[in-house]
Formats: sequence, C-alpha cells, structure tokens
Amino acid sequence: MFKKILIANRGEIAVRIIKVCQEMGIKTVAVYSDVDRNSPHVQIADESIDLGDPTPSESYLNIAKIIENAQRVGAEAIHPGYGFLAENPDFAKACADKGIKFIGPTPEVIRLMGDKIEAKKTIANADVPVIPGYNGVKQDLQTLIKEGKKIGFPLLVKATAGGGGKGMRIVQAESELEQSIESAKREAKSAFGNDSVFLEQYIDKPRHIEFQILADEHGHVIHLFERECSIQRRHQKIIEETPSPAMTPKLREVMGDAAVAAAKAVGYTNAGTIEFMVDGKHNFYFMEMNTRLQVEHPITEATTGIDLAKWQIRIASGMELTIKQHDVLQRGHALECRIYAEDPSNGFLPSIGTLEKVEIPIGPNIRNDTGVETNFHVSSYYDPMLAKLTVNSENREESINKMIWALSHYIILGVTTNISFLKKILEHPEFRKGNITTHFINEYFHDWMVTKEGLPLDALIALAVYDSLHTQRQEVVRYKEADPHSPWQHVGRWRMGA
Amino acid sequence: MFINYEHNNHVYNVTVERRENQFFIMYDNNEYTVTATELKPGQIFIQLGDRVIKSIISQGHDNKFVFIDGNVFKVKRIELTGRKTSEKKEGDLHSPISGTVVSVKIKEGSSVKKDDVILIIEAMKMEYLIRAPYDGKVEKIHFKEKNQIEIGQLTAEIKKGAEKDGSH
Repeated sequence: MFKKILIANRGEIAVRIIKVCQEMGIKTVAVYSDVDRNSPHVQIADESIDLGDPTPSESYLNIAKIIENAQRVGAEAIHPGYGFLAENPDFAKACADKGIKFIGPTPEVIRLMGDKIEAKKTIANADVPVIPGYNGVKQDLQTLIKEGKKIGFPLLVKATAGGGGKGMRIVQAESELEQSIESAKREAKSAFGNDSVFLEQYIDKPRHIEFQILADEHGHVIHLFERECSIQRRHQKIIEETPSPAMTPKLREVMGDAAVAAAKAVGYTNAGTIEFMVDGKHNFYFMEMNTRLQVEHPITEATTGIDLAKWQIRIASGMELTIKQHDVLQRGHALECRIYAEDPSNGFLPSIGTLEKVEIPIGPNIRNDTGVETNFHVSSYYDPMLAKLTVNSENREESINKMIWALSHYIILGVTTNISFLKKILEHPEFRKGNITTHFINEYFHDWMVTKEGLPLDALIALAVYDSLHTQRQEVVRYKEADPHSPWQHVGRWRMGA
Repeated sequence: MFINYEHNNHVYNVTVERRENQFFIMYDNNEYTVTATELKPGQIFIQLGDRVIKSIISQGHDNKFVFIDGNVFKVKRIELTGRKTSEKKEGDLHSPISGTVVSVKIKEGSSVKKDDVILIIEAMKMEYLIRAPYDGKVEKIHFKEKNQIEIGQLTAEIKKGAEKDGSH
C-alpha cells in the first residue's frame, strides 16, 4: 500500500479523498491555489503545496508543477479526483513517466474514452448497443446529409470534441438538416477549434442512467448497479438517485452485463462509470464512459456499502478485487442533491461571495460532502458547487422526505444557492412518481422563481427583530396606555424624571 | 425605529420598537407583538402568539440573508430619502418615522449635552426621542410643535463640541 498520496484537486472531492487516505493510514498532500489557502482540504491534509496563481491552468491544471511537487515531497501516487486533470491522458502519462502511480485507468484507456467516436466504435464491437448514428471521419456536407437521412428524424448533430451543449443541434426534419450541420460546425470550430461533428438518433423521453464499475489490474470487473441522473440543468446533473425508478430487475441485469462488457472491451482498470441513455420503451444505448470517480458516487456507496474511493486506492496499489459480483447488493434507496452557489431564478448564474454562515443538517443516514465552511469565499475561478447532500432510506418515498427535511435545515447564508429549487423539484408530483427525463427541469421549471410571493411576513418580523437587537437602543414611550400597571407607565416616569 | 427592506425590487416598510425582549412591529397596518431572543449570533427565536418563528440572519457587506422555514431571502436595508446612511453628516438628525412633532425641548443656538432630548415625535401610539449624539451646539431646528414630519426628514443640526458656552 502507498505511504503518501498527493490529491490533485480542491473542494469537497479533495476532502473526501484525504479523509479516506487518513482512514487507511496513508499520508496526504494537498495542493492549493492562492485563493484556496485556508480551505478545508488544506486544513485537514498532512502537508500542502502552494500552486500559486488561482487561474486553473496555472495551478490545478498545471501538470509540470503538480508532478514536480509530488516528486519533491515523495508522494508515490496521485489521486486526481474528478474534473481538472482527472480525465487528461497526458497527466496520467506524465505520472507514469515519473514513476508516480496515477489512481485511475491507463493513459491509453483515458485517451480512447475521451474520443467519443472511437469510444463508441470500440464499445459497439463489444455488442453493447450504441445510439444509431454516423461517426465517420468523412465530414463533407454531402456525406453528413446522406447519413442523416439514413438515421431518420428527429436527430442530433453533436460536436465530436463537444460538451456542455455547445455545437449541438436537434434536427426535427430533413429540411433543417443542412443548415443545422453548418451552424453546429461553426459553433464547434469556435468553441473547440475542431469542426468535426457526429449524427445520432434523437431519443424521446430520455433518461440518463449510468452504471458504476470497479475493475482491478488482474482482470476482474464488477458493476455496482445503476444511478439515475436525469435531473439536469444546463446538461449538468443536480439530483441523482439509486435505484432508478425506471429500472426493472431484468433491465438491470442486462444493462449491468453490458457495462461490465464495455469495461472489459477496453481493458478498463480502477473505478469508472458507463453512461447510458434509456428511452421510454426501455431501450438503452451507450453514451460515454467516465474514467474517474463520479461526483455522485456517494449514492452507490450508500446502497451497496462499498467505499469506492477506498477501492480506487487499493486497486491502484495492485490489490485484487475481493468483492465478487454476487456479493454486491443494493439495499434501500439513496438520493443526492448538489448544492450550488447559483441563482436558479436567474439562469443558474453563479453567485459569488463570502459564506457568512454554513450550518449543515445532521441526522441518521444523512451525508454531507463539502469543501467549504463559514467565512469561505466563493470565487469565480472554480465550479460553484458547495456541497453534496446524500441521504438514504428504506425506499424512494422516504428518501425524498428525508432529503426535503435535510435541505430545509441546510443553512448557507452569504450567497444565493439552489437549495429551495432542489426542494421544489423533490416536491413536484411528477418527480415523486418517478416520471423524470433529462428534460424535466426545462419542462416544469422553465420560469421558476424562488419567491413569486415576495418576502413572507415571518421574514419581515425576524428582520425587524434582528435590526432592533443590533441597533443602539431606541427611545420609546407609549403614552396612551390605560393600564396603570403597565410597564410603559414606568418608562414614562423614567423619561420624565430624566 | 422605521426600516425599509428591499427584496426583489419591492420595498417593505416596517416599524419596530423594543422593550426588553418584547418587540412591537408594525407592518401593512397590522401590529404584531412578539417576544424574541437571540440564541446565538444571528439565530433568532420569536414567539408570536402561539406561533414560533425560527430564523437565522447574517449581515453581509450590502445585504442581509434571512433563513426562514427552509428558504433564504436576500434583503437590503435601504433609506427612502435618496441619501444613504453613510452619506449623512454626523450632526444631521433625521426622523426615524413619519409622525407629528409633539415637543421641541431645545432652542436654536443653545448648547446641548450628549443624549439631551431635542425633540419628540409621535407616531403610531409611540413617541420617538431625538437626542443629541454628542455635546455641542444646536445650529438649526427645522420643526415646530404640531408640525407633521416625514420619515428621513432633517429634524435638527448639531455642531460638535468646541463652541460650548463658557467652555473657554
């Protein structure tokens, strides 16, 4: 086992990994940029390294600087967390070249899965269904139009190098095809410097359902069931749950087998996630593979009892997976909400500021992963996710109720957060019924406002009391007081005598 | 004390008076009498009749954040007079409330000691005492007895210290 690990990340995931290393008796090295100097992940680590300039490319994305420091402090392995360098094959390669173990799959697998077209081709060869589409290298308009017609409508045009909805078009009819391809290409070119696109069938009532897998370096691969991540805003998940309300035992078995087959097909190692799109008729299609620990991994941990971060480290150290597929059980239901410093009533715009107060809900089966605390400054340099709140219960209904309770007792003052918004989603009758698709938020919360009714009376009363308590005492005399025993009589005399 | 709160471009006018842990709050022509305690800094426990209001309030640079019933509201305290509190001259005494001047205790030009009552304004069954913020000289008093006064209007101007009668 490793003696010392450097965690090349910040925020809640750095905190999560440092804590698991401590549990395992491994020394930890945190890295931080200037604005994160006093962050929780720095406070709890055994050592920390100043990466300087908060611009990501200068600090958390600076491969040379991180590796140089890892060597200097004698870290044998680097955990990349998620985001930043987690899916950067050059980083994994640079680690290997310097004899540092990268906690994740090999650079070759990361590179392969990072290329969406190549990834699909490879996975399709393993008999895992992929969305019908055109992934060819021939990118001339004529070929694309011909292939588009073959797929049928509606279809999606997507940038090969894309993400975040950039360079993406939904084409409803043949007449829109040519123009959509051209504009997607233009957008892709300016966003990613690469105008290559692919076409695929548009899925109606799509759900995003993914499977967690663990693979060791000795050829063993298991899956740890699904996570339903359909509740998304701006193509980013904000609520995840397991089991999925759409899942049947049969579908789970078939999809689980497909996930394992996909991982085996690419020689995957360490923790990974196979993302599928599932339509209203339970057809499922491979979308992509995330070659890292997912943000939403806690819900899988809650229902299987397996510590994914711990297994990542064990696997990277060469240990064999001792858990067999039939040992993995799914118990109860777990739900995660991502708490963001953002304004849902204003286009989910990030909210910058100092957290005047942070108080977290504590109770049975409530987990709070966070990298912030009172007085933390939320800057514009990094993703505005403040925390992940995870609850688990015997069933979905109880998890929803527990989550609503927990969100109602989650206090973050100083920036605008999405807490009220998350609560409204959970309270929505269609969510409660499990009728969710990736379009849920656009469909039901398009024009959502946190306070249509304005400031409630109780808030005004509380404010008035607060300001009264925090202002130097005001003189007040009630003179039209009939009751001779009223304390106001006393005040009156006191004033007159003054 | 008269306070204007702004939230989502709406302004809410509230009057609050305190005696010990009792608070008299006027809002929208209703009066609410509550008892309240600040359990921890910013954490306020309020009893309104048989109802309990639990709130946590933080004071940022510009805004207050009010946590109540699972929701957070961002609120700004504002002056409706077109001036900000910080722009006021120190010796300018503004009325905290709209009402009637019931008594003027000091003449223009006289010296006052800190906390001397300068005038008394009556509003909503209460009297508000405008007091001298420090020892000094009353340069100007803008109202007479029985005058109507609006919130934020300048009641008196006091010049600080030095020119006290007989001090040199």
